[in-house]
Amino acid sequence: MNLHLSSNKLVLIIFNLLILLFSTIALSDEAIDDKVKKITSNLRCMTCQNQTIYDSDADFSKNIRQIVRQKLIDNQSEKEIINFLVARYSEYIVFTPQFNRRNIFLWIFPFLIFALSFVFFIFRLKKNPTKQ
Amino acid sequence: MNKIFLFVPLILVMLISIFCLVFLLQGKDPSKPPSALLYKNLPDFDIINLFDDADVISNKDLKGRIMLINFFASWCSPCKVEHPLFFEIKKKYPNILLIGIDYKDKQEEAINYLNTMGNPYDYVGMDNKGLIGLELGVFGLPETFIVNSKGIITYKHLGPLTKKIITNEFAPFIQ
Amino acid sequence: MISLIGFSGLILSFIFNVIVIVSYYYKINQRFNHIFYLALYCSLFFMCLSFFALMFAYISSDFSNFNVFQNSHSSKPLLYKITGTWGNHEGSMLLWLLIMSLYNVFFSFNITLEDHVRKLTIVFQSFLYLCFSLFVILTSNPFLVNSIDSNEGLGLNPILQDPALAIHPPVLYIGYVGFSLILSLALAGLILNQLDNLWIQVIKRWAMFCWLMLTGGIALGSYWAYYELGWGGWWFWDPVENVSLMPWITGLALVHSLMITKQEQLLKRWVVFLSILCFSLSILGTFLVRSGILTSVHSFAADASRGIFILILFLTITGFSFIIFILKSPHSNKQINLLFINKTSALIINNIVMLIACITILLGTIYPIIIEVLTNKRMSVGAPYYNSTVLPILLPGFLIMSIAPMLSWQSNKLDKIKNYIYILIVTSILTLLITYLTKFNIWGFTGTILGLWIIAASLLSILHNCLKYKFKKFFIYNNALIAHMGVGIMIIGITFSSIFQTKNNFTIQTGEIVNSGQYSLQLKNLKIEEKNNFQELLGIFLLHKKNEFLTTIKSSKRYYYVSKVITTEAGIYHDWFQDFYLVLGNEKNNKWSITIYHNPLVSFIWIGVMIMIFSGMVGIFKR
Repeated sequence: MNLHLSSNKLVLIIFNLLILLFSTIALSDEAIDDKVKKITSNLRCMTCQNQTIYDSDADFSKNIRQIVRQKLIDNQSEKEIINFLVARYSEYIVFTPQFNRRNIFLWIFPFLIFALSFVFFIFRLKKNPTKQ
Repeated sequence: MNKIFLFVPLILVMLISIFCLVFLLQGKDPSKPPSALLYKNLPDFDIINLFDDADVISNKDLKGRIMLINFFASWCSPCKVEHPLFFEIKKKYPNILLIGIDYKDKQEEAINYLNTMGNPYDYVGMDNKGLIGLELGVFGLPETFIVNSKGIITYKHLGPLTKKIITNEFAPFIQ
Repeated sequence: MISLIGFSGLILSFIFNVIVIVSYYYKINQRFNHIFYLALYCSLFFMCLSFFALMFAYISSDFSNFNVFQNSHSSKPLLYKITGTWGNHEGSMLLWLLIMSLYNVFFSFNITLEDHVRKLTIVFQSFLYLCFSLFVILTSNPFLVNSIDSNEGLGLNPILQDPALAIHPPVLYIGYVGFSLILSLALAGLILNQLDNLWIQVIKRWAMFCWLMLTGGIALGSYWAYYELGWGGWWFWDPVENVSLMPWITGLALVHSLMITKQEQLLKRWVVFLSILCFSLSILGTFLVRSGILTSVHSFAADASRGIFILILFLTITGFSFIIFILKSPHSNKQINLLFINKTSALIINNIVMLIACITILLGTIYPIIIEVLTNKRMSVGAPYYNSTVLPILLPGFLIMSIAPMLSWQSNKLDKIKNYIYILIVTSILTLLITYLTKFNIWGFTGTILGLWIIAASLLSILHNCLKYKFKKFFIYNNALIAHMGVGIMIIGITFSSIFQTKNNFTIQTGEIVNSGQYSLQLKNLKIEEKNNFQELLGIFLLHKKNEFLTTIKSSKRYYYVSKVITTEAGIYHDWFQDFYLVLGNEKNNKWSITIYHNPLVSFIWIGVMIMIFSGMVGIFKR
């Protein structure tokens, strides 16, 4: 009985510790810095020329960096943040073209011709018997 | 079969040329990306009156009239250039609602600015934190939006207005 | 006055090129033969006259010339007055013409080719010259007279006032424009059905030279971007960079496939196609940059009418070339000796991979244009796209390049294959160990393995060669291997500098010390220096490593009076294994914000490029 209780307690303690651990991870400054870096290196500074918001020193970039940071602290996911910005600044603001119907060609085509030429290459190999 | 492949580069050259030509002939400006909000509903926001902090209106209250929303600031020099044109717009199209939004600015300086330059706007809102600007995707002043009577954004101009733009591009949207 | 001379030179050079073409058409007797070459030389002479007239106008700050007025200023240092000649759209197009003309004349001294092939090549080159000359005369005349009477100019864009960027355009253009000669050679060979060994020998040498210059030009450009933009990087997948990379890649494929054609007498159609493609991409690149259709850090002043003109040129020249290609392309019934894996198949893999990489870059560059035309929505195709498409596609090429020069043409046997397998295993384990000790990153891991594998396997191959040939003609046997080793070194540099780069922001006061890793940085003092055409705010920093003094770094901001532009000059401490990169930011409450980048192994990139250029030179001169 006693044992049972203590093991229950143990589980509870571990569970609490885990929550504590995760919450610290979620809120630790370093983790947020890393995430801000990851997200903002994919965003275009609209007032600069082809510079990422992460690299840029412009007011616009500082502002967006702050917004991204705030949203991360509010526990929003990367996707939500990107969608938020795209809805306002258009797809132009993200450097990675999104996977959607319009961009499917852009993403698939290089790998498609790569695969096709690879198959073609193998096919041609077979037609040439090895001659020593 | 092999012969068909020979035509591929030629076709590609043609296609690239056609797209580039159309792009050039449409007179698109690479430094001015089209707004993401075009043909979408104007997002909801509250505006604090620049001259009276207690007076807050929501843009929902303004539906039913054609609106012209202009983002300006006292620190923005191209805004000074386009400023007199708003008096002309007001004279020419008296039934549209001219809203000026003072973007990332100090209240006193903006009041000062409007006192010296004149105030063409029907309503001047204050957006010193840039929150309304964020909702509308503003990034470089001045920016001008036209919202139709159903609350849909029909036109956006980035950069200072000119007389030519007003007569050529504005007219269909504000009549 | 000077403008008049320059403009007459331009027109006369145009006329003489017409004479070249006409006298070729009437090639009835020897007398016209004389006229043919004489007109060619005259056209170069007048082109030089025109170019030096413009240069002289720049040196003497002759502001009655509109181009000088717009792009120069009397307070500029002499060096930048000279280089200002090609620091703007009109002047750079004049340089383009000069280089085209120079290529034509130098090529006419070639005696390897048969007379009629050489002449037709010259005629095509003259024709291309006429096209671009027309473009300059009609839309970008650098000799317009200034309508305002002014004794001061508007000044050169400050970010162009830099030694690396001063010589970057000529070097780049010698490569870029040189591909016009490759195109002319290909067309002449096609039409006369003379794609023989001699033709291959000649085109190989010229293509190699152009490609080398292009390599040098791109390297200079990215080195400039590295220290002038102050963004901590040296390659941004910027549209203008992509546009120069495309002909570079096809040039690379061309140089490599010319090797197969020499050995196997096959794939001539492919070589001709690549020759046409190189210059087509050069023109397309010129169009994309000069029409202002793309936003970029490097773009010229935009002008739609110029854009349309170059677009028409692009369509005419490439359309014509590809039609000739369809009509006359040679075909062979012989099968290619493709084995798993011999030299031919390695080279073919290289070609496939290069072409697909090029197509991908082209697609990424023009996709936003297509989308905007079709849907009126703007989108970006940026670095992440290229990194996740182009790099994986290049992977098979990188994997085989270190052993490719050792493979045989006839059989699929590789000497001492066991040694290579050992090397592969050892490098993999070594890399795994290294990555285990540091932060794991899949890209870093792949890049390091690839680079190490290329270097190690190339070294092993060189060793085998040395044992076999006893150091006889060392550079001739090992040239390709050395070049590939350069690529390996470059890959290591690229991987480390981009993936393991760290960036830190600090605020610092005079005298204060900040710590970044093992390094500590002290702001010794800040001073303002007045220079002739700019004012410089100079921050002098002392860099210590573990309390040991390393160096002083000067990082500054410049304010150019005339154009009212502020530029940043990054302070860089170069070490063999890392760069310490310092950018001075803005001031707030007497504290200066600084950004410190720690870029490991950047120097490897430049070393790799130099090795590639060096062995390329050997390749040109070796018999």
